[in-house]
Amino acid sequence: MSEFYPAHKNKLVAIFDKIILWHTAKFFGFLIAAFLSFPKRNRMSHDNGIAGLGNLKIVDNPEFPEHDFFKAGRTFPIRVRHATATYLDDAVNGIRSISLKFSQHHFKSPFDIEMNTGATTLFWSAKSFLMFAKTRKEKYAVCYVDYIKKYPQGATGAIGAMRRNPSSFTNLKYYGKTPFLFKGTDGIQRYAKYRVVPEKEQLETGLQLNPCDYELPNQRVAPHEKNGRNYLKYEWEDRVKKGHAKYKLQIQLVTASHDEDPEIFNNMFPWDERIYPWMDVADFEITETLDWKESTISTFSVNNMPESLGIIPAKSIYDYNSLNYMRAHSEIARKARLLSLKIFGMVPPIPNNDNRNNEEWGK
Amino acid sequence: MESTSVKQIIDECKKKTRIQYTNKGGFFSPKLKSINHLEVGYSKIISNPLTIFLERLYVVYKNLRNWFNSVKERWFPRNPEIVGTVKDAYLTGVISFKEKSDVRTPIVHMKVVFWARTKLFQWRKLAEGYTDHEGVFNLPFDLRAAVKWANRKNLIFEVEEIDSIYFDKNKVGHHNYSVFHKQTFPKSDLIGMGYNLREIQLDYWNYRTDTIIPRTLLKFDNGDTIQSYTQGRKDALIEQIIPIELTKLKHLLLIKEDSDKISHASIQADYPINLTQCIEKELPGYTRGDEWFGERMMNGMNCGAFMQDPENPDVYMIKYFGLCNYDHNHEFALPDVTIYFNFNNKGIPIPFKIKTVGALNAINKDQWQQREFTPADGEMLWLAVKRLARSVGNVCTEVDEHFVGTHLNVEQYAIATFRNFKHSPLSILLMPHMREVSLINEGADKLIIKGFLPEGTALNAKGLVKRAKDLLGMFDWKSWRPMKSISEDHRYAQAENIFFEVVENYVNTFFEQNLKGIISHWDEVYRFSQDLVNHSVPVFLSDVDLDALPTNERNQALERLAYYKFQYGFDETVTREKRNNQLKVVSPITHKTSISAEDTEDINNLKRACKYAIMQATFMHTWINEHQYDDLGEVLYSCGGLRFGDKESGVLVPESDLSIAPNLTVTTQQLWFANFLSRTEYGFITKNEDGDVNPIFTELLESKRADFDKIGVSIDDIESRTNI
Repeated sequence: MSEFYPAHKNKLVAIFDKIILWHTAKFFGFLIAAFLSFPKRNRMSHDNGIAGLGNLKIVDNPEFPEHDFFKAGRTFPIRVRHATATYLDDAVNGIRSISLKFSQHHFKSPFDIEMNTGATTLFWSAKSFLMFAKTRKEKYAVCYVDYIKKYPQGATGAIGAMRRNPSSFTNLKYYGKTPFLFKGTDGIQRYAKYRVVPEKEQLETGLQLNPCDYELPNQRVAPHEKNGRNYLKYEWEDRVKKGHAKYKLQIQLVTASHDEDPEIFNNMFPWDERIYPWMDVADFEITETLDWKESTISTFSVNNMPESLGIIPAKSIYDYNSLNYMRAHSEIARKARLLSLKIFGMVPPIPNNDNRNNEEWGK
Repeated sequence: MESTSVKQIIDECKKKTRIQYTNKGGFFSPKLKSINHLEVGYSKIISNPLTIFLERLYVVYKNLRNWFNSVKERWFPRNPEIVGTVKDAYLTGVISFKEKSDVRTPIVHMKVVFWARTKLFQWRKLAEGYTDHEGVFNLPFDLRAAVKWANRKNLIFEVEEIDSIYFDKNKVGHHNYSVFHKQTFPKSDLIGMGYNLREIQLDYWNYRTDTIIPRTLLKFDNGDTIQSYTQGRKDALIEQIIPIELTKLKHLLLIKEDSDKISHASIQADYPINLTQCIEKELPGYTRGDEWFGERMMNGMNCGAFMQDPENPDVYMIKYFGLCNYDHNHEFALPDVTIYFNFNNKGIPIPFKIKTVGALNAINKDQWQQREFTPADGEMLWLAVKRLARSVGNVCTEVDEHFVGTHLNVEQYAIATFRNFKHSPLSILLMPHMREVSLINEGADKLIIKGFLPEGTALNAKGLVKRAKDLLGMFDWKSWRPMKSISEDHRYAQAENIFFEVVENYVNTFFEQNLKGIISHWDEVYRFSQDLVNHSVPVFLSDVDLDALPTNERNQALERLAYYKFQYGFDETVTREKRNNQLKVVSPITHKTSISAEDTEDINNLKRACKYAIMQATFMHTWINEHQYDDLGEVLYSCGGLRFGDKESGVLVPESDLSIAPNLTVTTQQLWFANFLSRTEYGFITKNEDGDVNPIFTELLESKRADFDKIGVSIDDIESRTNI
C-alpha cells in the first residue's frame, strides 16, 4: 500500500493516469496563461483584493512536532493578501480569502499558503475542479447552477465557504483545506492542514444561515444592499491603521500510514478536531496596507514551500491531492500575469460605483 | 316434471354451454390488433387477405424481434455481480410520485440500479439499492469502474418495479423486477464523490386527478408504462374473442347495409347457445317460470341479497334501485324494483310479489309512481314484470356489484398495493391478485361506461360515474362478511363461505410464516392504509344534506342506504376518518408506522383487509363475471334495458313484442359483451398460467374441491385476479 492516495492496481492504467494528470495540469496552466492571465491580466479568480505587510512569529512553545522551518520563536516579515473570489464587489455572497507569504516580497518567499473561508470547498480533485470550471456559466453574479445541482458536495462546499456581507476580513476563519506534507525533525511523515483564525476568538460573520440549495449559485449583491464594492478593503485599511489586524496561523497533523483511508486527503472531509486538534503555529499582525498596484502584483504559490512541507504527490486526476498538483503546475499563469502587467500596465482599481452584480471590471 | 330430471337437464346444459376454444388460427385467420382495440362498435379487426398477409409479415417481424431480444439477453446478460472494488463515489437523488402538490410524496423502497455498458455491449452493474423513507437513493460505486475507457459514453440509471411474483420449489415467493424508468448521463460527468440526479418524478401508480374515484393514472407523457397484460393473457383473449368479434362485425354491417336481412332471432342464432336457450329447448317455458327466476336471482349472475322482511320472517326481499335521479336517457325503463319471495320445499325462492317505483311506459314518466304485481295479475303480466325485474337487476348487478363492487373496489387496493409494498412480504400475498385490474378498468371506461351501458341501458355516462362514486361509498373491508346461506339451495352463499374459509386459512398461514417481515416493514402498511383512506370516496350519503331533499328522494336514499348496508356488509357505526371534511369510506388499517407482535389489533385489521381484497378480486368477481353469458346470453329473456316503446302498456308486454326489446345493434353488442366478459379463459387459481399463485393457496383450495363439487361449483373456474 502507498502512504499516499493509491495508484490504480493496473500498472499500465496507473502510468496512463499519471500522464493524463501531468498533461491536464500543464494544459490547464497553459490555457489560463494564454487566455486569461496574459491577455486580460487577471488572476484565475481572486482579482478583488488588498495586500498588507506585517510580521509573524512562530509560537514560543509549539505543541506540534519540532520542525526546522517552524522553529519556536522564529520571526518572519510577511505579506498578506485578502480577497473576494470571482467578483469585483465585496458585497456579493462570495468566498473570502487570505494568502500568506513568509516574506514581504511580492513573488519570492520560503513559504506561501493560500486559504479560503469555510472548512470545505466546492471541489476536491483536478477532475472535479475542471468540471467546476467547465460548468461555470456566469450571468449577473449567478454562477455554477449546473455544478451545484449535479454535485452534492458542490452545494455543501458552497454553503460552507461563501460569506455574505461579513463585517471584516479579520473575523473570518480561513482554511487551507488540502493537506500538505509535514516531515519534522523526528523524520516521521505527517500530513498537515493549515488555517488562519482571528487572534482572539470571535463570532464569525457572514455565515449562511438556513441556505436554500437552489439559491446557492446566486451570489448577487442583496437587494437594497448598503455596502459598497470595496467596503471590506476599506474596513481592513482602517483596521490595520488602528493595529487591529491580528491573526493566528494554526496547523492540524495526521501521521501518515500505509493503510490510510484515501479519504484522509479529501478536502471535503475536515479532519476531526477532537482527534486531530488545531495547534498554534504562529501569531502575526499586519502593520501597513499596500496600494492597489502592490496588491495586484502580490502572488502566492504552493511551490513556495520547503520540501518537507510541500505538496503531496498525486497519482491521477481523481486523486484528492491532484488539486495541489495542478496548482503547482500552473506557475506559468502566475508568471504570465506579472509579465502582462509589466508590458501592458496595471489594471485599474475597482471603482466604488454602482456597477454591481457584474463580473466585468467596470468603469 | 321430476325435479331430478330438471336438475339433470340444467346440469347438462351447463356443460354444453361452456365454451371451449379450439381454433388456433390459420395463415389467413383474422386477427385482433390488441385488447385496446376492442370496441363496442367496430373493433379494429383485420379481415382483408392482403392486410392479413401484411399482418402476418408483421408477426414474422415481431417474432424475429423477440428472437433477437432473446439472443441479446443470452449474449449480453445483465450480470448481477457489482463491479469495482472501492466505493469512492456515489449516485444520489430522490424519487417521488409526480403530482401537482408543492411537496411531492416520495416513492419509498423503490429498487434502483446503476449500469455501465462496455463498448462490446456487455452490462456491468455498478451499484444497486433502494430508496429510503424520503425517497432518497444513495448508490456507492467504484468511480474508476464507472469511468473506465472500456465503458460506453453514457451510463444508465434504472428504476425497477416489481413486475410479477413467482414461487420456488419451497413455496417461497420472490419478485420479478422490470425496468420502469430509465435515464442516462455521460460518464464524463462523474468527478468523484456524489453525483446528484436530483428529483425524479415518476407517474408511478399515481391516482388520477380527474375523478374522485380512486383510479390509476395509466397514460404518461414520458413513455414510462406501469404493468401490462401478460403475453398469455393477451393471446388467450385474442384467440377467444375472434369468433364472436367477427359475428358482431357481420351484424353491424348488415344493420347498416341491409337491415331487412337481420333480426333479433338471427342475431341470437349467430352467437353460441347459452344456458337459458339450452334449457328452453328441453324444458320449454321453464326459464320463464318462477322457480328459475328465484334460482337465478339467488345463484345466478345476480347472486342477490335476500333481506328478511321485518314484518314477516318467512318472506325475503331483493331490492334493485333504478334511476335514483342519476343522469339518464329516456329510451329505457329503469324503475326501482322490490321482489318478494317465499321459499319452496327445495329451498328455492319463489317470487310472489313485485313492486315497482318509476316509469313503465313512455306516456307517464312520473318517477315516483308505484305499481304492485302478483301472479294473480295474469301470466302475461307476471312474465313481463319478471322480465322487467331481471333487466333492472342486470343493470344493478353489472354496475353496482360487478363494476363498482369488484373492479373499482379492487382497483383502489391495487393502487395502494403497487404504490407501497416493496420490501414487505405483503407484495407476495397481494400482487398476484391485484394485477391487471387497473388495465382492464381503463378498458371498461371505454367499453362499458362510455360504450355499452349508455347505449343499452337507461343510464348515461355521467349518471354511471356518479352512481359508481355513490356505490363505492358502501364498500369497506372493516365489517364485510360473506353472505349468509338462507336455504339449502343457496349455493352461491355456500360457495362464497367455503371460498372465504380458504382465503382466511391462506392469509392466516401467510401471516404466520411472514409475520416478522410484515412487522419489520410496517411503515409500508401505514402508507398503504393512508393511501386507501386518503383516496377513498366519501361514505354514501355522508356528503348529502338529506333534510334538503324532497321527501320521495330522501325516503329512497334512506331505503337504499339500509339495503346496501345489508347487501354489502357495511357498518356505518365503525369509526371512520375525515379528509378534507369528507367522511372516507375505507377504514384505516393502522395509525402506526411501526408495531410489535403485541399490536394484535393492527395486525388483525391488516389480515382482514387482505382477505377482503383477495376475496373481492377472486371469487366475488368470478361469480358475476362467469355467469354473465348464462343470464345475459339470450337477449329476449334478459337484457340491460327494456325500451318504453310507444304503447300505454310500456314494458309490460310479451317477449314477442320486439318494440321494447333492445334494438338490433344493442342486441348484438349485448351478446358480444356477455361472451367477451364471461368467456375469457385465463387467469385461474388452479391453472396458475402465470405461475404467480401461491401454492399454499392452491393447496387449500384443492382441499375443498369436493365441497365445491357438491354444490356444483368447479374450483377450476375461479379466477386468481380481476382480469376482465
